[in-house]
Amino acid sequence: MTGLIVAVIKIAILVGGLMTAAAYFVLLERKVAAWVQDRRGPNRVGLPLTRIRLFGLGQPLADGLKFLFKEEYVPRHVDRLLFTLAPIVILTSALAIFAVIPFGSVLPIETGIAGVETPIQMIVAPGMDVGLIYVFALSSIAVYGVILGGWSSNNKYGYLGALRSSAQMIAYELPLGLAILGVVLASGSLRLGAIIGQQAETGVWFAVVQPLGFVVFVVAAFAEAARLPFDLPECEQELIGGYHTEYSGMRLIMFLIAEFLHMITASFLIVILFLGGWHFWGLTGTDAASATWSQAILRIVVLMVKIFAVIFFFMLVRWSWPRFRFDQLMALAWKVMLPLGLVNLLAVAILSEPAISDRLGTHNVVVFAVCSWAVAIVAWIATAMAQPLIADNRPRGEGSAEWSPGRGVKE
Amino acid sequence: MESEFLPVFLFLALATLLSVGMLVTGRLFGPRRTSAVKEMPYESGMDPVHDTRRRFDVKFHLVAIAFLVFDVELLFLYPWAVAARPDAAAVRGIDGAVQAGLIADRWLVFCGVIAFLFLLLLGFVYDWRKGVFRWR
Repeated sequence: MTGLIVAVIKIAILVGGLMTAAAYFVLLERKVAAWVQDRRGPNRVGLPLTRIRLFGLGQPLADGLKFLFKEEYVPRHVDRLLFTLAPIVILTSALAIFAVIPFGSVLPIETGIAGVETPIQMIVAPGMDVGLIYVFALSSIAVYGVILGGWSSNNKYGYLGALRSSAQMIAYELPLGLAILGVVLASGSLRLGAIIGQQAETGVWFAVVQPLGFVVFVVAAFAEAARLPFDLPECEQELIGGYHTEYSGMRLIMFLIAEFLHMITASFLIVILFLGGWHFWGLTGTDAASATWSQAILRIVVLMVKIFAVIFFFMLVRWSWPRFRFDQLMALAWKVMLPLGLVNLLAVAILSEPAISDRLGTHNVVVFAVCSWAVAIVAWIATAMAQPLIADNRPRGEGSAEWSPGRGVKE
Repeated sequence: MESEFLPVFLFLALATLLSVGMLVTGRLFGPRRTSAVKEMPYESGMDPVHDTRRRFDVKFHLVAIAFLVFDVELLFLYPWAVAARPDAAAVRGIDGAVQAGLIADRWLVFCGVIAFLFLLLLGFVYDWRKGVFRWR
């Protein structure tokens, strides 16, 4: 029973933090956009009924209030049940992923109450052995939310958005899974906490020893979160928002929150799987099971700083790359990322197999890292040589099946 | 019942509650003024031409099938990936099975996985040659 109360407290902290973070990341995103484009961004809303502006920090609250009082109409042409179900599915799955994601290390509190573990682990379900599988399952359920929303809207933009989104998300789930397999192979656990512990213990982050897997994972995570180079499901200029075109009021904000939560999840996963989680050399200690107070707080700070940095990277990328065309997107998933992921998995499997690693000396971390960097560079060069630098973007006319671009696009 | 999955179910239940609660508050506070134009599908101000739910391109179907094949094959690799670590997982992993006499040799497992990956690669090359990944 006491364990349940602890779990409820953790969930309350986590959900409250996530909702606030999602709201303020919207503000941050607008501020970064303004900074990139040499504007000022939202800076008006501060304390109500005064002239105090506080750099626009009141903007998310005002936005939330506005959404609350907006009309939420359900057009007659939609499938009412699925139309209502879609935002529930997408927001629930986006939130519930965080049950297995650690948001810190441990807190050394001695409560003395029976049934409460000491030290308190900063993860909602610390006993869950299949953390990564659970993350995968729930991120696939998010696709259901998107498809339900687009299909039930009975709107052409929504429908196209849902189709594109489903194709994109399932295509990029394969490279994502392959990149994760490399990490699982190296750490021997599906628990996110244990994966961080492994990196802290050895002091070598998986991004250093598996650079190829890192690149594949980051690209796939961008696509899964539908961030800008891959935001075809909802590109405003073509699809007026895609699958949530027909939504308004609170239902719309649920979709938008879920989108930001996907981005936060993606950056949590990037940090935890490849960038060492809460670990930083010489600051946080290396023992995952225990920490002093200063270490515990430093670990949270380090984790949050890393996540903030990755999210900032997400936002900068949004303003740096143009959107992919859909055929380019699919070609990138199937013809580039999937083979690269396979190469990474094969390299990790071979280099870490005991009989081979004894002969090559790759049980030594440095040798392992050098070998996998070599593999990554070779694979990168091979990809670059197979793909021409100048892609032929001419529109394809009638009878495009016979149209051959010469040395241009390779199939 | 203090199962390891209990917090997860709790989280799922609370998240559902939160989403439903947001829907309900939206219903409570929002105005409702319907009109004929609001009832139309939003298509940039044009009158909608035909029903949305028509046949769509078979390319999406091909991608879905290719995804199913490869994703299930990848799922088979997860148990191996968890068990394959040489040192830490000696209790339950492949080394433990070798010590218990269940498997003759570590090499056998490794070669099996490489053969599995090779078969996966074969299917991938076949799909590529057949043009499943060609999007036009």
